[in-house]
This record gives sequence, structure tokens and C-alpha cells, in this order.
Amino acid sequence: MSRAAPSPIFTLRGAGAPLNTLHFSCHGGDTPLLFSGSGKGAIHMWNLNTRRAETVAEGHSGNSVVWVNTLQGTDTLISQGRDMRVCLWDLSEGRTAVLDSLWTGSVGFCQCSLLEMSTGTHLLAFAGQQTEEIKIVELPSKTPVCTLIPDAKLGMVMCIKLWQPDSGPGPLLLAGYEDGSLLLWDVTQRAQLSQTKAHPEPVMCLTFDPQCLRGVSGSSEKDLCSWRLDGQNNLQLQDSVPLVNPGVSQLCVRGDGKLLASAGWDHRVRIFGWKKLRPLAVLQYHTDLVLSVAFSDHQDPRQRLLAAGSKDQRISLWSIFNEGADTG
Amino acid sequence: MPTIMHQISDPKIAFAFLRPACVLLTKAPTVTNVETLSAQLKEIDDATLQQLQEAVAEAMSHVLETTCVQSWETLRDLLSELCLCLCTPTDPGKPAETSEELKSAVLRCLDALLHAAYGDIIFKLFEPIMLPGIGSAISLLLALGEKERSRDVQLAALKCLQALTLQCDCTQEHVVPSSQERGALGSTMASFLPGITMAVSRIITGDLRHGHAVTVGAIKVWYRTVGLVMEDAQLQAGEPCRTAPPDLGRVSQLMVHRSQDWVKSTAGRLSSLLKKIISCSSAHQHWRVRLEMVELGEHLLARCSRSLGECVGLLLEALVGAVNDEEPRVRKRCEVVLREVSQRNQSRSSAQTFTDILSENLHSLATSLPRLMRTSDDQKKLFVLNVFLGYLKVLGSQVSVVLNSAAHLQRISKALMQVLELDVMDVRIVEERSYAATIETSSDSYHSYAARIQRRHFLYFTDEKIFSLLMEICRTLGYYGNIYLLTDHFLDLYQQSSAYRKQAAMVLNEIVRGAAGISVSTEAQGLESQVWGKSVTQDDLKVAVVSIMEEYTSLNNWHLITVSEEAERDRQDQQLLSPSSLLSISNSNVGGHTQTNSIQEISSSFGSQSSSPSTSALHQLNSNIWQLCIQLEGIACFAQAMGRDFRPLLMTSLYPVLEKAGEETLLVSQAALGSMWDISKACGYPSLKELITENCDYLLNDISLNLQRLSQHPQAPRVLTVMLTHSDCSLLPLVGDIVQDVLMALDLSYQHTAALFCSVLHALLKALARWFPSDSSRTSHSRDDLEDLNENPPPLECEDVDDIGGPDVKAELPLHLSVTKDIMERCIHLLSDPSLRLRLKVLDVLELCVCVLSEKENELLPMAHRCWPPLLQRLTADDPLAVLRAFRVLCTLGETCGDFLRRRVSKEVLPKLSSSLLRQAPTSAKAGPVYTHTLNYKLQLAVLQGLGSLCQRLSLGDAELDAVCEACLPYLSCRQPIRLQEAAIG
Repeated sequence: MSRAAPSPIFTLRGAGAPLNTLHFSCHGGDTPLLFSGSGKGAIHMWNLNTRRAETVAEGHSGNSVVWVNTLQGTDTLISQGRDMRVCLWDLSEGRTAVLDSLWTGSVGFCQCSLLEMSTGTHLLAFAGQQTEEIKIVELPSKTPVCTLIPDAKLGMVMCIKLWQPDSGPGPLLLAGYEDGSLLLWDVTQRAQLSQTKAHPEPVMCLTFDPQCLRGVSGSSEKDLCSWRLDGQNNLQLQDSVPLVNPGVSQLCVRGDGKLLASAGWDHRVRIFGWKKLRPLAVLQYHTDLVLSVAFSDHQDPRQRLLAAGSKDQRISLWSIFNEGADTG
Repeated sequence: MPTIMHQISDPKIAFAFLRPACVLLTKAPTVTNVETLSAQLKEIDDATLQQLQEAVAEAMSHVLETTCVQSWETLRDLLSELCLCLCTPTDPGKPAETSEELKSAVLRCLDALLHAAYGDIIFKLFEPIMLPGIGSAISLLLALGEKERSRDVQLAALKCLQALTLQCDCTQEHVVPSSQERGALGSTMASFLPGITMAVSRIITGDLRHGHAVTVGAIKVWYRTVGLVMEDAQLQAGEPCRTAPPDLGRVSQLMVHRSQDWVKSTAGRLSSLLKKIISCSSAHQHWRVRLEMVELGEHLLARCSRSLGECVGLLLEALVGAVNDEEPRVRKRCEVVLREVSQRNQSRSSAQTFTDILSENLHSLATSLPRLMRTSDDQKKLFVLNVFLGYLKVLGSQVSVVLNSAAHLQRISKALMQVLELDVMDVRIVEERSYAATIETSSDSYHSYAARIQRRHFLYFTDEKIFSLLMEICRTLGYYGNIYLLTDHFLDLYQQSSAYRKQAAMVLNEIVRGAAGISVSTEAQGLESQVWGKSVTQDDLKVAVVSIMEEYTSLNNWHLITVSEEAERDRQDQQLLSPSSLLSISNSNVGGHTQTNSIQEISSSFGSQSSSPSTSALHQLNSNIWQLCIQLEGIACFAQAMGRDFRPLLMTSLYPVLEKAGEETLLVSQAALGSMWDISKACGYPSLKELITENCDYLLNDISLNLQRLSQHPQAPRVLTVMLTHSDCSLLPLVGDIVQDVLMALDLSYQHTAALFCSVLHALLKALARWFPSDSSRTSHSRDDLEDLNENPPPLECEDVDDIGGPDVKAELPLHLSVTKDIMERCIHLLSDPSLRLRLKVLDVLELCVCVLSEKENELLPMAHRCWPPLLQRLTADDPLAVLRAFRVLCTLGETCGDFLRRRVSKEVLPKLSSSLLRQAPTSAKAGPVYTHTLNYKLQLAVLQGLGSLCQRLSLGDAELDAVCEACLPYLSCRQPIRLQEAAIG
């Protein structure tokens, strides 16, 4: 690389456990926040102005928190723990109280997927108790919508992504399975639309860009696999991108669809151009597996941050490839 | 005997004769009594009466004080009589050579007469016809006031002058002239104005020996007369056309018509006199004089601001200069006056011009300020700066308007830049070095820092008062000015030229403090009659502070070289290779401090040697040091200005400050520590410890980032060192991962950075030893304790209690022990490093490791075992310096794991040491006093001192003991240096 290696603009430390998941909330309110879920069951709410954990919530009785998110427009946080529960938190006026919780029955690592249907109602997809089972419920009512079980034996559900296509009546769901298969489900029809074998190893993570109907998935091996949906909702494999070291924990596309970030088992975060999957940068700071990456949702694109959470118990924040900002 | 005997010629008799009547008269001034007295007076001989004038005058003034003169003739006659008494018979304008007592009695009488004149008869005095009479009286009084030697007479004459112009301000009742009468009075006095003002000016500006009272009196006469004659109200009303009565003759020539031309030319002359008076009296030493000058300003500005238009600037300057008077009474009066003046001007809607005059004055003062600061003496400089400050205060919130004019801002800032130029010639600054040890020992008290702050030397002044005045000027600018404009402007100057950088930083620091209202005296509200509300919000302040700090801590302005590299290398070598620490080998005080004194000796000797860098380079270093100090102070100022709101800014500012606290240049590290104290106070932390521990996440963030880029940020280990030095064991869990970073960086690093890391590890272990004092290190502070310990062997049994949980379940090691183990592991490798300097450092670290680990023997022993081979190498086959330190490590090891070492020491070490002792003994026995400074001597001393206890701890066998004793025996010889003998006995 021609430029000097970039360094994080700051790091958040003190979580005291591996950081499995990260979620930004920077678009409204005064203080930009970053939520993190730790391997010891704590949810940290980091104030990005003071760079300190404002609140620490414990709701999964010490079990690893694998996923956190917020319900748009409300002060509600949603977290998923390995205690087989999904918790809804009320964060308004500085509270941190569990409003409601949901039993998933899954002991796996599959992160939930959340989709806003209309104001106030969301769909939540999660891996169920049985091996291949995916359940979808409506929030906040917790009404079950459907259960999706593939015909063939594909192993555990590893990762899922729920989204609403522009054309088409109902939401679709992408799921990656233990045997390396990717499946596209129609939620309303409860039907399997397409299937492809993306990886020889389990699909560890996937991300999908509904704008250009492209997605990418990572596995425990060296290749990132990219694929797209054609007009008939068929999954078509595209080029795969070889990595230097095997293992990807998480993938994330920036809101503007320009960058893709990968959380690598080789302690590094890699940045790719999303269009052609051209490698752009390797972010090196962590001293252990990087478990999660997230792009912030700042309204001003120049303030946008990339966060990476690692098994080394630190979160690094980077300001890279922001228009007008120093790419450092 | 002459025929007529009824006239009394003996003064004594005459006095006795007259006295009863006089007394009676003074008691009851009735017609009969007066007649009695006058009848008696006729009986006294003229010459004798002359001698009794005084007594008579005395009596008369008593009379006049209690009565009033109702007839014009009496008044006129008495006046001329009294004047006659005062003047020489030949020249009515010249005082007679009479006694002081007489003069003062007559003057008192005159004063009483003027006060006693009843009703409007007094105004007859000022009719044209009286001009000659009044004139001679005035010139007589002026002559008395000016020439007379007696202070009382001078004062009395001046008072009479006041009374004569109906301007008396004593407590008695006075006639209040109507405006018409006042006009007549002023018109008459106009004839004498030149004479009075000139003579009185001479009194004011003349000999200072006549005391302040005369000066005060003279000033009063001056401004009251001027105020009377030049009164705007009179001049505006127009001079009543006084056609001189035809019978006046020559007298009419004396009359003055106050035409516009006359007013103009008079004002011109008065202004030059005024200039003299002001320059002479505004900085007068006596406060009453300065107070009177304030009164002068008030009086004339109130009455004659139109007629004396060209003097308004002068008068304001005089007033403004007194705003900061050291005497509170002057200050207070001045504030009142200025407020009145500004209100008057506002109400006349001429505030604009008033402000204009002030800002004009300010501009010209700023222009001449650098010249004045170069040329005048300290007293004058103080005054000039006081005036400067006064203008700012009087302008008040108008300052921001004035500063909007680019010309003004330019002038003022340039003046400040020039005046505040530092003298960077002092070479000693560069050479003062601080050491970790000094930082550590004195870290507890804030005051030790405040006291040691080095005085700055300025090129153009020396008085500390001048400096504080300049700083107050900056604060006042900040208080009233627009903070954005000011910070922008001065930051521009800061960036523009390195010549202005330090001054601009000083100014910026104070501006921010001023903007926050710190140390700004705002009693003088200046032009603002309403209370000046602070327009600077905390947000504005923050924006300004952030931009300034960004500039201060930017790479180019923060990472300045303060040490010439060559000298630095020498010094490091000297420090590391110095055997000084050996002296304390016997009491291996582990957690304690390195030997400050000896190091300072070295540094001082080093100072004299290092004349290698050129002077200009030294000046550059000096200048860098000052710049850093000022910037560090600045950060403290900003913290003060923002208080607790500064806390979020610690994110970016604390790390740079700590970086400098670890700097080796004494001044810089002191400034940084002082700054840390100020910051912790401002942000509400009780001490440095809290400041660091509560913000350690910010610090560690930067440290951990910078450790990964050590080549660009070589200071990161230093910051960690400072953190460790100032905090307690609560820090340890937080730095845990950083220590791992350090160790990893050490594993990966190249030769030159290893030393840097070793010093961090050293600091860390010192801290660990302090935070977790182990039994053995606690008791090993003195040799006496060792004796006790020996009698009751170390409680080895206790160790088993710890392991009661079972041998297979390996409990997780406390963090400090596991860290120590990790470090000790590194030491094993580094012990054989080719660099002697590094080996020495590692030996120090190793010793501390042993101390800390001694609390868990089953952890220490395996490590000790692994250390042994390289340690043995150091003990037996290395530079004497390394041998020395290795021996110290051995002693420490001996204290904690004696049994373990016994065989190894007796087999591998003792023979070597004994033989070297034996070999050296003849040399030291023959050596002179210089020998005590050699390395060999110190080695001998250390070995002799340490050997005894080592042998005891190891419980050596008899054979080995014998060998040791044999080796020591030669040192008991009286030819050996005395300390060696003592050590050998031990």
C-alpha cells in the first residue's frame, strides 16, 4: 500500500470480555451511541463523545450476547443472548429495563435479523430450536409469522438476513447453513425460492445489499463468496475474493453501498470497494480475532465511523474513506 | 525721656496692656469692646505696634471668623491693609521679609476676611475698578505660594487664592454666586489666568521637597481657576459686553474679553501646561496627589470639556491611568468619576466621540508602547501599562468594537508581541535535567511545583509587576473582546512567525482566562453603566480552547527538541554507567528511589562539559523549552477557564501533557507537572492520582495506538511511565493489556527501542514493588532488620497454606505476579544482550522482579532457575559494572530463596568473588584517596558489604565460610580505605 497504514482514531476499552456484536445509533439524539454485546453477557452503551461506556446492562445472566440492535424510532434496544433469549429493553430517559423477552430455543451463534415493516411493527427472524429451523415473529406483539425448515439436511442455521424487496409483495429471507449452502426464502409464501452452495465450509456470515441485489458471504476458509439475485429471484454465484488468511466473523456494507468491511480471524479488518470487491485497506490494530464490524449511521457522511470489536476485549473506531475527511 | 509719656513703647508692656481688650474682643465682639481696643491702640507707639501686628492680626482673624463684614469700604480697606502687611513697602507685588509667623497670621486673617465678606459686597471686589488691587493681591499670594520656604505659609497663600476667587472648598459657608456674578468673576479672573496658571504650574512641577500638601493645594488652585475662567456655561452664555467706564483709564487695559480667539489660544497654552502637570503628577508617589489629579480631571471635564476640547484626551489619560492605582481610594474615586464622565457623555449623545477619543488614545499608546518599554524606567513602564489597561477598562464592552478595527488590533497585538519578547540567553535552562527519581519523590505536593516555577526573563523589563500587568491587559482584552476574533488573530501570529510564537501563546493563554472572567477586576465598569453581562458562553470558550490546543499540541509545536542529541547520548551513558548506585547496595531498597544526589552530581559535571553545541543552537533549544512551558501552562489555563467542562477535552489534552511530564528537561517536566496539578484542580479531581486513573482509558487508548507506531511516537512508553509513577494498584487491571502490548513490541522491536521498553518495564516493576510490597522487600530496607530475620527464619511454612487448594488445581495467578513473570521471562533473554547499557537496565529490572515474585516462592524458584545461567555469566564474566549489579541481584535472590542458591553460589560464584577480592586487596591497600572514586573500589565495597548477609542467608558450610573469611581478612588491614575496613567487619 502506498499510504501509511491507518490507525484507529480511538479505541474503547474496559468491556472485559470479547465483543461479539456492535451496533451504532448516531442518527438522532444528542449523543452518538455505540452498543456492544460482550462474551460475558454485558451490553455496553458507549457514548462516542466521551468515549466511555455510559451504561452497562446485564440481561442474559452472564451468557454471551451475540447480537444487539435498536428498533427504529423508539428507544428500544433488542439483544440476543446465548441463554436462548431475545430481550427488548426500554432505554428512554436513561432507563435500562427489560420490557419483554422471547425464548428462541437456539443455542447456536446465529444472529437474529430485524426488519421494520411499518412504523412500530418489526419482523424478527431467528434460528429456532431444531437444527435447520428459522422462526419469524412480529414485534412487539410476538405473534409468530412463520417457521421455515428446508427440505434437505443442511445443518445448523449460521446466519440470516431479512429484507423487503422493492418489487414483490412480501419480505424475503437469506439464510446460510452449516454445510455451506445459501437459501433464499419467501416469508409470506413460506417457500424456498433458490438455493446454492456457496462455500465448502459453514457460512459464517453474510451481508446483502437490497439496492443492487448483491450479497457476499464469508466462511471459515480463505474465500469471500459474492453472489447476486437475478430477476427471477435466483441466487447466482459470482466471483469469489481470496483472503490472505482464512476465517471471517462478520461482513458489513456501508450505508451508501460503497464499502464492504470484513472482520477477520487474522486480527484484521479488511476494507473492499463494494462494487468490484477490490481490496482497499487492511486495518491492523487488534491482537485477537475480530468478531464484529459495523458502520455508523451518522447523518453527516464525514462523521461516519467504522467500529470493530475483537476477542481482545477492545473496540477500535476508524474514520476511513470518508469524503473530505482525512483517510489517515 | 520724651514728653508724651502716655504712649507705650515697650512691646511687652504694650502686649500686656492690649491683651485683656483683645481677649475680650475675641470673646464678645461688640462695638464697645472694639472701641476699647481702638482707644487702647492709640496709646501704643507705632513702632511697637508694628511688632504686635501678629497678635493683632490674630485677634482680627478671630473677630472676622465670628462676625461678618458688611461694609464694602471695610472690606476694601482691610484687604489692602492686609496686603500691605505682607508686601514690601516699595513693591506691592513682592512679599516682605517678615517673619513666617506674621505672614501666616496675616494670611489667616485675609482668609477670614474673605470668608466674612457679607452678601454681595464681595462681588464689588471683582469690578473692573478693582483689577489693580486684586491683581497685586494675587501676585503677592502667588509669590508667597511659590517662593516662601515655610510650608504653612505656602499652604495658607494657596488657600487665600482659592478664597479670593470664591473657589474655597473649606467647611465654612460660602456665598453662592449667581450665574451672572459668576460670569463677572470669571471675566475678571481671566485677566489673571495666565499669571495664576503659570505660577501654580511651577509650584506643581517644581521642587518636590515642599511636600504633597502644597502640590495638592496648587493643583486645586490650578483647576479651580481654570474651571472658573474657562467654564463652558459662562462662555456659552456669551460675555456680557462690559464697556469700561470711562474713568478707568489705564485699568481698562487690564481687562480681558473672553472672545473665541482668546479662548482658543488660552486653551492651547493651558494644554501644554496641563501636559506638564500630568506627566509630573500622575505617577506621583503620594496618593493624595494622584487623587487630586483625578479631581482635576473630573472638575475640568465636567466644566470645560468644550472650551478645553483639545485637552480632553489628556485629561482622560490622566483619569484612565488612575483606574489601576494601587491606592484603593484613588481607584474608587476614579471609577466614580469615569462613570460620571461616560454617563454625561452618553446623555449628551456624544458617547461616540468619547469612545473615539479613547480608542484614538489607545491606538497611539499602543504605537508608542514598544518604544516606551525599551527606553523608560520600570516606574514609567508601569504607569504606561496602567494607562493602557485603564483604556481597556474604561472602554469596557466597547473594546470589542475597537478591536474590530484591524488597525487597532494590529497595533495592540504587535505591541504585546514586542513587549513580551523573552530573553532566551540563559544557558542553564537547557542543562537542567530531571530524572524519574526526582519526579517520583516530589510528586506529592503541589506547592513544591508552584514554588519552583522558573522565572522568565524578558528582554525589555525585569519587574514582575510589569509582567502581571501585561497579563492583566491580555485578560481584559479577552474579557471584553470577541473571543473568536482574538483567538483567530493571535493564532495567526502564532503560526506566522516563530519570533512571535511564545508571546502569542502567552497572550492566548491569558485571553482565554480573561474570557472566562478569571482574575479580571471588573469594578470599573467603564462606559457601561449597566452591569456587563458575560457574552462568552461555555461553548464559545470551548471552541476557542479546542482550536488553540490543537495548534499547541500539533506535531510541529509540541515535539520540539529540547535536548541536543549529542549531549543526550553522553548523559545517558554517564547515568547508566555510573556506579553511583552501588553505594546503597547493602540496603537494597527496591521500591525506593534511585540515588538522586549522585546523579545530580553527575549532571552538574556534565553541564560543565557540554559546551559543544553552538550558542545559537542552545538558544533554539532554550526557546523550545520556553515555548513548551508556556503551552503547558496554557493547557492549565484552559482547564481553569472551563472548569469541569474541561473534562471531555482531557481526551485529547492529557496525553500530551503527560508526555511532557516524562520529559527529561527539568523545566518542561516541571511545567507539565504543574499543569497536571492545575488541571486536576480545575476538573475537580482531588489529586494527580485521580486525574490519571479516571482518565486512564483516554491515556491508554493513545498509548496503545502509539506503541504500535513507536517510530513516530517514541514518547508512548514515557507516558506509561508517568502514569505508573502517579497512580496506585487500581491501575494495574487497566494497564494489563498494554503491558502485553509492550512485551509484544519488545519481542518484535529492534535494538534501539529495547532500552526504551526496558525503562517502561523498570517503571512498571518499581510501581508493582510499591503497590504490592512483599514481606522480604519490606523488611530488607535496612540491615538491622536482616539480623532479626535471621533469628526467626523466614516463614516458609506459610507458603503451604496458600496452596491448600490442592496441587493439581492451579489457581489463577494474581495479575501483578503473572505480569512480573512475563517480564522476568523477557529478562532472561535480554540478560545476554550485547549492549552493556541494556544489560545493566535489565539487571535492575530483574532485581525488582525477584522482589515482587518473592511473595510466591513456587513461582520464583523456577524463574530463578531459568535466570541463573545468564546471571552467572554477568557475575563472573562481564564488565565490572554488570558484575556489580548482578551481585546486587544475587543478594536480593539470596534474601528470598537462600536454600535454592546455596550450592550454586558456593560452587560457581564465591570462589570467583573471593579470588577477585584477594587479588584486589593489595591494590587498594596501596592506593591513595583517589582510589575511592574508582570502579574497583566500589566493587570491592559492594561485595564486602553484601557478602556477609548473603553468606548468612545461604547458611553456607564451614568450608565456604572459611574461604570467604579469608578473602575478607586482608581488608581488615588498617592500610585499606576506611570504608572497606568497615564493610569487611560487617
